[in-house]
Amino acid sequence: MTPPTPRARPVAPVWLDRALAFAGATAALLSFGLFAWLVWDLARLGLPRISWTFLTGEIEDAGRSGGIGPLLVSTLLILVCCLALVIPLGTGCALWLSEFVRRGSLAARLVTGGVDLLASVPSIVFGLFGMVFFGQTLKMGFSILSGGLTLACMILPILVRTTLSALEALPADLRPASAGLGLTRTTSIVKLLLPAALPGIVVGITLGIGRALSETAALIFTSGYSIRWPSSFWDSGRALSVHIYDLTLNVPQSGAMASSTALVLLALILVVNSAAVALSEHWLRRRHQTS
Amino acid sequence: MNSTGLSRENDAETPSSGGHRTVAASLSVSGLSVHYRDFTAVGGIDLEIPEGEITALVGPSGCGKSSFLHSLNRLTDLIPGCRVAGSIRLSDGTEVTHPKTDVLSLRRRVGIVFQRPNPFPQSIRRNFEIPLKEHGWRKRDIPDRMETVLREVGLWNEISDRLHKSAIALSGGQQQRLCIARALALEPEVILFDEPCSALDPIASGVVEDLIHSLRGRLTVVIVTHNLAQARRIADRAAVFWVRDGIGTIVEHGPAERVFTAPSNPDAASYLSGARG
Amino acid sequence: MLGLLALVAGGMVLLIVWYLFSNALPVIEAGRLAAFFTDSLWQPRSQRDPQFGVVSMLVASFLVTLLAVALALPVGLAGAVFHRFYAPPVLERWNRRMLELLIGVPSVVFGFWGLMVIVPLIVRLAPHTSGQSLLAASIVLGLMILPIIALTSQAALQAVPPAQLQAAAGLGMGRARTIWSVALPAAKGGIGAGVLLALARAIGETMAVVLVCGNIPQIPKSLFDGIRPVTSTIALEMGYATASHKALLFCAALILVLFTALLVGWLSFRKVESDPGTGGA
Repeated sequence: MTPPTPRARPVAPVWLDRALAFAGATAALLSFGLFAWLVWDLARLGLPRISWTFLTGEIEDAGRSGGIGPLLVSTLLILVCCLALVIPLGTGCALWLSEFVRRGSLAARLVTGGVDLLASVPSIVFGLFGMVFFGQTLKMGFSILSGGLTLACMILPILVRTTLSALEALPADLRPASAGLGLTRTTSIVKLLLPAALPGIVVGITLGIGRALSETAALIFTSGYSIRWPSSFWDSGRALSVHIYDLTLNVPQSGAMASSTALVLLALILVVNSAAVALSEHWLRRRHQTS
Repeated sequence: MNSTGLSRENDAETPSSGGHRTVAASLSVSGLSVHYRDFTAVGGIDLEIPEGEITALVGPSGCGKSSFLHSLNRLTDLIPGCRVAGSIRLSDGTEVTHPKTDVLSLRRRVGIVFQRPNPFPQSIRRNFEIPLKEHGWRKRDIPDRMETVLREVGLWNEISDRLHKSAIALSGGQQQRLCIARALALEPEVILFDEPCSALDPIASGVVEDLIHSLRGRLTVVIVTHNLAQARRIADRAAVFWVRDGIGTIVEHGPAERVFTAPSNPDAASYLSGARG
Repeated sequence: MLGLLALVAGGMVLLIVWYLFSNALPVIEAGRLAAFFTDSLWQPRSQRDPQFGVVSMLVASFLVTLLAVALALPVGLAGAVFHRFYAPPVLERWNRRMLELLIGVPSVVFGFWGLMVIVPLIVRLAPHTSGQSLLAASIVLGLMILPIIALTSQAALQAVPPAQLQAAAGLGMGRARTIWSVALPAAKGGIGAGVLLALARAIGETMAVVLVCGNIPQIPKSLFDGIRPVTSTIALEMGYATASHKALLFCAALILVLFTALLVGWLSFRKVESDPGTGGA
C-alpha cells in the first residue's frame, strides 16, 4: 500500500463559490438593469408623444415637432430596394454553394471566404462604397435606391449564411430521390429544394430586415437626409435611424422627438426579430415532429 | 445515529490521521430505488458490498446497472428530475443518500471511472492538480502523489517525460489508466467502474482489467460490465440485474463462483448461459 | 447563372476594397501616405499648413475598443457563468431571449442614450469637462457589445462536454472549482472567438461612438479627454470633404477594413485550427 501522504484539511472553497455566485448575479443584474434603464428612459421621454398624427405627420421645425410620416415611408422604400437585390443574390449564391460545387472545393472556399470577409466590413465603409459606387459610378446620387442597394450588400452575408445552413440541413436523401424520379436539376431546385428550405430563407430575410432597419452609418452618405415625402426610388429619403442621428447631432432641444423616433424604431425591430425567433422555433419544432 | 458522519468538521479534526484512507469501506444497500420523474428505473435493491472485494454488476442493457452505480456516490444528483430513495450505508455509518451528507468528500471516498476516458483536456499534471487541490492536498505534496499513482497504474515510465503535455494526446487505454490514477490519487475507499473497458481495444482492455484486478484487497471495487468473461475472471462477488415489471432489479447475487456456475434464478441462468439478454 | 450570382456575392468585398483603393489613390500617388503616420495634427483643409496625421485617430479607435471590451468582458462572462451554473434554466432561457433582442438594438440608439444619460453622469464626475470623452465612448460601446460577448460566452459554456463536468463531479469537485478549472478552460476558445467578434464589431462601430466621443482629434491623456476615432472622422467629414481630404478619408477607411479583415481572418483561421474535421470553409 502506498504510504499515506500528508494532507491538509479539506479546503472546499465555499468562499470561491459564494464569490462567483455573487459576481455572476451582480453582472447579470447589472446588464439587465442597464438595458432596462435604456428602455425606460426612451419610454418615459418618447411614449407620451406617440400617436397616429405622430406616425403620419410631416416633420416640422427641423424635427423639434411634427411627426415622422415621410421617414416611415422612406424607410419602407429603402427596405424594398434592399430586399429586391439581396433575396435573389443571397439565395442564388447559397444555392450555388450547396448544389453546384463540392463543399470544400477551391471555388466554394473562395466565395464563402469572400462572404465572411464582407460580414466583417464596418458599416461606415459600406456607406463610403455605396456613395461612390451606386451614387457616382451608377449615377443614382443620394437616393432611396442607392441606400437600399448599399444595405443589400451589407446584409448579404446574413442571408447567404442562413440560406446555406437551411439547405445543408435538408435530408440528404432528398437529392438522390429527385434524381431518381428523373427530375431536371432546375425542377428539383425550384419544386423541391427551395420550398423545403423556405423556412430558413424566411428567417434569414427577417434577420436581415432587422439589421437593415437598425443601420445608420451606411445610409448617411447614400440615401441622404431629405425629409420630404419620397415620390420615387430616385428621391433622397431619410431613414428612421438617420433621423435619430441627425436630431442628436444637429438639432438642440430635440431629445423627446429622438426618443419617440427611437421607440418606434425599437418597436419595429422588436417585432421583426421576435418574428424571426418565433418562426425559426416554430419550424424547428415542426421538423422534429415530422422526422 | 450519526447519519452525517462525513461532515467537514469531522475531517478537520483528523487532518492526516490516514485512518479511513488505508482501509477499504464496505457498502450496504437496502430498499434502494432510483426514479426519473415518474419513471422508476431501479427498485427493490438490497445488496451487501464487502470491503476489499470486487463486486461485478452484470445484466442486459437498460436494466439500471449504471443508474444504480451512479447512485452509490450521488452522481445521480447531476441529472435533473432524478430521485433516489432507500439507504446506502458506508461501513463508518455514513448514509450516502442523506441530504445533509457532504457530497464532495463522499465522492472523494467513493471514486468513479467512466466508460469513456474523460481526462480534462489540459496537461497531465493539471489533471492531478485540480482535484487534489480541491481536496486539500498541499501543492508541494502533489508531484509525489501523482508519481505514486501513475506508477501504480503503470503509466509512469510511459509518460513521465511529458507531464506538461495535453492528456488528450494519450491513447485511449492510456487515458483510461490516467483516469483511474486520477481517481486513486484522492485515496478513495471504494472505486466504481462503469464499463471501464468497453470503449477500449482488446489489448488496452486487458491492461485495464489487470489493473482493476490488482486493486483487489486494498479497495472495494464495484464494476459494471457487459463482458461476462471479464466478470468471471476478476469478480469475487456478482449481482445479476434484470428488468421485472418494467423496473430494473437484482435477481441473483452472491459469490461469483456460485452465481456464474449455479444460478438459481431462471432469468439469470438464461442470461448467464447466453440464451437471453 | 447561379455561378454569376455567387461570383457577385463572393466578389463584393473585392469590389469594395477596389473602390476604396481607387478613391484613396490620389493620396498614395502624391506620396502623402507617409504623412499619414508622421504628421502630428489632423487639419487636412488648412491652406497654409495642411497636416494629415491619422495616428491620434487610430490610437483613439484602439483605446476605445479595448476599453469597451475590458468593460464588457467581465460583466458578460460573469453573467454567462451565473446563468449557466447558478440560475434556474427558465431564467437562462429568458436571459438568452433578451440578449438576442438586445443585439438588434440600433447602435445609434445607444449613442443617443449615451449622450442623454451617460455624458451628464460623467460631467457630474468631472465637472470641468464636456463629458463627451474616451470614457463615455467606451461605456456606450461596451454596452453595445455586451450582448455579443454574453451570448457567445454562454454558448461556449453550454458547449463544454458533459463528460468533462461529470468527470469533475466524479472527483468530488465543487461548483466553483469545476467552473474555474474545468469549464472556463474548456470554453476558452469560444469565449476568445466572441471577444474577437466583439473587437471587430467595436472597432468598426460609428454611431454608438460619434455622438459621445467629443470629436477632438488628439491622443487622450485621461479618460475624460475627448477623442475622435477613425469611424467618427469619416462620418463627420465625408459630407463636405473634397479632393485630397476625401482621398484621405478613403485611405482611413481602407486601413479600417484591412484591420477588421485581419481580425476576422484570424478568427476563422483559429476555427479551422481547432476543429480540423470540418475541413476549411
